Amino acid sequence: MRKPNGWASAVCAAALGMGLTLAVGPASALKSYDSSKSSFWKNPPPDWFLGDETEQQKGLAPPAGPATPTSLAELNENLKKIKLPPGFKIEVYASGLPEARQMAWGDKGTLFIGSFGATNVYAVTEKDGKREVKTILKGLTMPTGIAFRDGSLYVVAIDKLLRYDNAEDHLDKLPDPVVVYDDMPSYVAHGWKYLAADKDGKLYIPFGPPFNIGIPPTSVSQIRRVDPKTGLAEIVALGVRNSVGGDVDPRSGDYWFTENARDWISDDLPSDKLNHISRIGEHFGYPYCHQGDLPDPKFNLGHKCSEFTPPVVNLGAHVAPLGMKFYTGDQFPADYKNNILIAEHGSWNRHNYQGGRIVRVSVDPDGKNARHEVFAEGWITGPQDYIGRPDDILLAKDGSILVADDWAGAIYRISYQK
Amino acid sequence: MPSIKPWAAALAAALLFTDAALAGKGDLEAGRAKAEAVCAPCHGVDGWSKAEGVPNLAGNADLFLQWQLVYFRNGRRKSEIMNPIAAELTDQDINNLGAYFHSLPPIASPQTPDPKPELTDQGKALAAEHRCSNCHGDTFLGVRAAARLANQREDYLAKALSDYRAAKRPSQGVGAMIEASASLSDDDIAAVAHYLSRLPAAP
Repeated sequence: MRKPNGWASAVCAAALGMGLTLAVGPASALKSYDSSKSSFWKNPPPDWFLGDETEQQKGLAPPAGPATPTSLAELNENLKKIKLPPGFKIEVYASGLPEARQMAWGDKGTLFIGSFGATNVYAVTEKDGKREVKTILKGLTMPTGIAFRDGSLYVVAIDKLLRYDNAEDHLDKLPDPVVVYDDMPSYVAHGWKYLAADKDGKLYIPFGPPFNIGIPPTSVSQIRRVDPKTGLAEIVALGVRNSVGGDVDPRSGDYWFTENARDWISDDLPSDKLNHISRIGEHFGYPYCHQGDLPDPKFNLGHKCSEFTPPVVNLGAHVAPLGMKFYTGDQFPADYKNNILIAEHGSWNRHNYQGGRIVRVSVDPDGKNARHEVFAEGWITGPQDYIGRPDDILLAKDGSILVADDWAGAIYRISYQK
Repeated sequence: MPSIKPWAAALAAALLFTDAALAGKGDLEAGRAKAEAVCAPCHGVDGWSKAEGVPNLAGNADLFLQWQLVYFRNGRRKSEIMNPIAAELTDQDINNLGAYFHSLPPIASPQTPDPKPELTDQGKALAAEHRCSNCHGDTFLGVRAAARLANQREDYLAKALSDYRAAKRPSQGVGAMIEASASLSDDDIAAVAHYLSRLPAAP
């Protein structure tokens, strides 16, 4: 599982980076932060995501997306560039949803969608074969994560889990929300979340650290399982960096989740991960160890990678895996059953972007025999250019899947026909 | 002025290329028609404002302009004048206006002797300390969704920084400007605004 050469290649990459600097001229000042103190978390600098900048990665920053959602005509044009396995087809399901993130179905067929900076929650309804997009909530802080259960819409906005009762009957004016859980820190940096319900209606919620790398506040770098009925929570995983996707395995009831690894080591290290919680309280390595075999150059603090739970799959560096779902439908070919489909948002801290696609993982319930391959790609059109960034997956009743894209502000549908 | 290093030039070229690709959606002629009908009374036919507190738009970053119109339209940025104007704009109008104002050449201010050279030095040091060029570019001409600052009106720059400091207007990059301006004093804002307003309109 562990490759002993991981760290050696990191050192080598760093050395190459330094050589390049000397060849170009005197190094300009690199940014360096002490993110280990609470003063940093409470008042992060504007470029908090940078952490310790390296000469190799210098100047890279998250790209700003289009200000307006991509038009339907342009989306149809863009989808011609998307490559899928034989028999699969992609089409626009809905457009005009700025910064669309996690999706959830209402019991009566309403599709609910959260958003990133747009502060909105949307609903897509269908009547006489025509779909309509409504903005049903405005003014929330990073309402990325949503879920639907027993008639109620759940929305998580950084430090509050909100419940809107009887939501589908009141799309024009939702009732005032009930705060069902708020024992959460208010850090906005990596504070946006994702919700996944288990069979009892408890919600798995990830808590990211308010920086790239450092010793995290004790309230974060973990995954909790929250019971919205009682407002009580258990910590189920530790040592987790920024996770914005996960699902409950239909075979075992275990929780699996994607995790974005730290930035500012190199274009190719460390790898982002797919993880599996097999017992409560497992530690997944952050900030001490990355990708199962790469001790952190600054925050290793004498730990060995063998102390931590390794990833099931290393998905690749800077691919940014976000929303994921087990495929439990009947429409796709039989060998897709119980496979994991992962929406990769794509890079920013890498010179040639990668990710920006959907990958497929087949794996046994115990994490053995993992295989991973690209399922849908084509949203990256140049070294640092996107026409879309997939960020969530949702199964539809007919066995097709929906894909949310926050760059284009759109939802796609992928279906299969023999 | 920071010297332009080879990597910076390469980066700027890469960003300009991407800007052009992103800006491809706007129609310049439709943008001009809309701008002359709606924007020109305050922002100038040439995108050069003569009114206090009203920003110059000529040559500003396309994506920055578009995002501001989106913020005005959805009410996240408040202005009694701009909110009702933006409320009437379609997504296509916004794409067109961004492309049009970006295409206008910035007008170089006449080179007058600096009335407050100490203030310029102080502003320059503060801009370095707060890493403004990280998002706005080494020459402060705007990059992607980060605004052009060089040669902007001094009164407007001071107003913008005060508004960000008070979290009165939204900011790209996970609240980058709100955080960047949080610790600035009134004197700091005056210095930064003075320094940026005197930077050359073209590198």
